[in-house]
Amino acid sequence: MTAPEQLRAAFVRIAATRMAGLPLNNPALSVATVGFVPWSEVQVGVLIAPWAINLAVVSDHPNALRLGVDERQTWRFPSGEYELMGGNEPECGPFQFCSLFSPAFEFADQATAEATAVAIMQGLLAKADDDGREAARMVGTSTLQAPVSRRGFLRGVFGAQKA
Amino acid sequence: MTETFYDVLRRQGISRRSFLKFCSLTATSLGLDSSYAAEIAKAMETKPRTPVIWLEGLECTCCSESFIRSAHPLTKDVVLSMMSLDYHVTLMAAAGHQAEKQLEEIKKKYKGNYILAVEGNPPLNEDGMFCIEGGRPFVEILKETAADAKAVIAWGACASYGCVQAAKPNPTRATPIDKVISGKPIVKVPGCPPIAEVMTGVVTYMLTFDRIPELDRQGRPKMFYGQRIHDKCYRRPHFDAGQFVEQWDDENARKGYCLYKMGCKGPTTYNACSTVRWNDGVSFPIQSGHGCIGCSEEGFWDKGSFYDRVTDIKQFGVESNADKVGGTAAAVAGAAVAVHAAASALKKAKKSDNDKVTGGN
Repeated sequence: MTAPEQLRAAFVRIAATRMAGLPLNNPALSVATVGFVPWSEVQVGVLIAPWAINLAVVSDHPNALRLGVDERQTWRFPSGEYELMGGNEPECGPFQFCSLFSPAFEFADQATAEATAVAIMQGLLAKADDDGREAARMVGTSTLQAPVSRRGFLRGVFGAQKA
Repeated sequence: MTETFYDVLRRQGISRRSFLKFCSLTATSLGLDSSYAAEIAKAMETKPRTPVIWLEGLECTCCSESFIRSAHPLTKDVVLSMMSLDYHVTLMAAAGHQAEKQLEEIKKKYKGNYILAVEGNPPLNEDGMFCIEGGRPFVEILKETAADAKAVIAWGACASYGCVQAAKPNPTRATPIDKVISGKPIVKVPGCPPIAEVMTGVVTYMLTFDRIPELDRQGRPKMFYGQRIHDKCYRRPHFDAGQFVEQWDDENARKGYCLYKMGCKGPTTYNACSTVRWNDGVSFPIQSGHGCIGCSEEGFWDKGSFYDRVTDIKQFGVESNADKVGGTAAAVAGAAVAVHAAASALKKAKKSDNDKVTGGN
C-alpha cells in the first residue's frame, strides 16, 4: 500500500471506532485521500473524512514526519507557509495535517468535497503573487512606505519595495 | 460641558505618548487595522465625553469584576475614568441618597446623551419585588434610565439572556433587558462573565465612534462573537484527527486531546475565548483542561449538564457565523462554489505574518 492509502486505511478505522455515531459526522461524506503529489521527500494531499477535511503530509519513510505532542512543523508550499500538526496511527505511522474544514457540514455530497479538495491542491501549489501591494492598498499606504526598521533607518534604507 | 476624553486623561496625568499607545492598542483589540488608531485619537481629542451609567439588577457582579481586570493598565485607567466618575454602584465613592441623587442629575444633565450599561436583569414577578434598589423595584429604575439613554449595553448572560436566575422554573421571572426596554439600540455582550477586553473594546468603540458596533442577528457585536470557540481552538487539530479525551484524567487528557466527548460546547458557542483568552491572554477553559460550558449562548443553564455531549450541531461550517445558524446555511454544491470554498479555507489555514514564530522545514 502506498502512504496515502495507508493514511486512508487509518481514517476508515477511526471513522468506524472513535468517531462512530458522533453527531459531528456529515453522513454525506466518506473517508478519501485526494490529489496526493510528491513534494521533496514526502507527499502532500487532502484527506477527506466525514467530520473534517485536512491538508495532509505523508511519507513512505514516515519516521521523518514524527513530531512530539503539540509540536508543529511549518511547511513552505508555493502559495505560502502552513503549520502542520503531527498525528500517528498504526496503519500509516506518523503523518502531519492542517485543518481546512471542521466540522464539514457544508458539503452536500462526496463529489463536491472531492472537487473542493482538487481545488485546494491547485491553490496550494499555485505561486502566490503577493508582494505586499495588496496589503498596502487595503491599509491605504504607499508600498514605498513599507515599515522601516531601526537598523534600516540608520543605514539609510527606507524600505522601498522591490520593483 | 464640553470636556473631551483627552482632557480627562491629561488631567489625570496620562502622557500624550501613553494616550496614543492606548489608541493603537484599542484599534488592535477591536480588530481594526492600525490606520484606525489615528481616527480613535482624533475622536477622543475632539468629541465631548459621553457619560456611562452602569446599573446592576439581579446579578453576581462578575461582569464588573471582569471589566476592571482588563489586561492593559492604561485601558483600565482610560475606561474607568470614563465610567466610574458617573454612576456605578460598586465602583463609585458615593452611596445611599447621595448616589441616587447623582443618578438623577446625570439623567437630567445628559438627557438622551448617555450610554446605559446594564449588568443583571429585572425580575418581573410580584411587580418586581425580588430586586429592590433605593426602595424601588429595579425594573422601574431600568425603564426610566433607558428612556433617556442614547444606547444600551447588556452586559453578560444575565442582561442578554437571563442566565441562572432565569433558568427553569425561573421563580422570580427574571427577564432579559431587551424584553423590558423598547425603542433603544441594545448591544448584547453575553458571557458569564464576558471577556474583559471584549467589554472595554465594545465601550471604547461606542464612545469613540459614537455608534454601536456591527451586530449579528442575536444583537451581539460581530467583531467578538463572529466565530465559534471550535473554529480557533488550538485543540481543533485533535478533533480533526479523531483524537478525544474519553474520560477525565486518561492518557488522552494528559496529551491535550479534544474535549468534545467530555461535553465541550466549543462547536456551538460563539465567543472570542480561544483567540483573546483570559487573564491577560494567559489561558482559557479548554487550555486548562475543561470543556467550554457555552456560557455566552442563550439559555445555557437549561441545556443539560456541562458534561453532556453537544448533539444539536446545525448544518454549518467554518465559514459560517451566527447569522447563518437556523437560517439559510447553504450547502456547498457545484464546481464554482468548490473553488471558492477551497480558496478561503486555504487562506485561513495559511500562516499569517503575525504568528511566524518557529522555523522548521
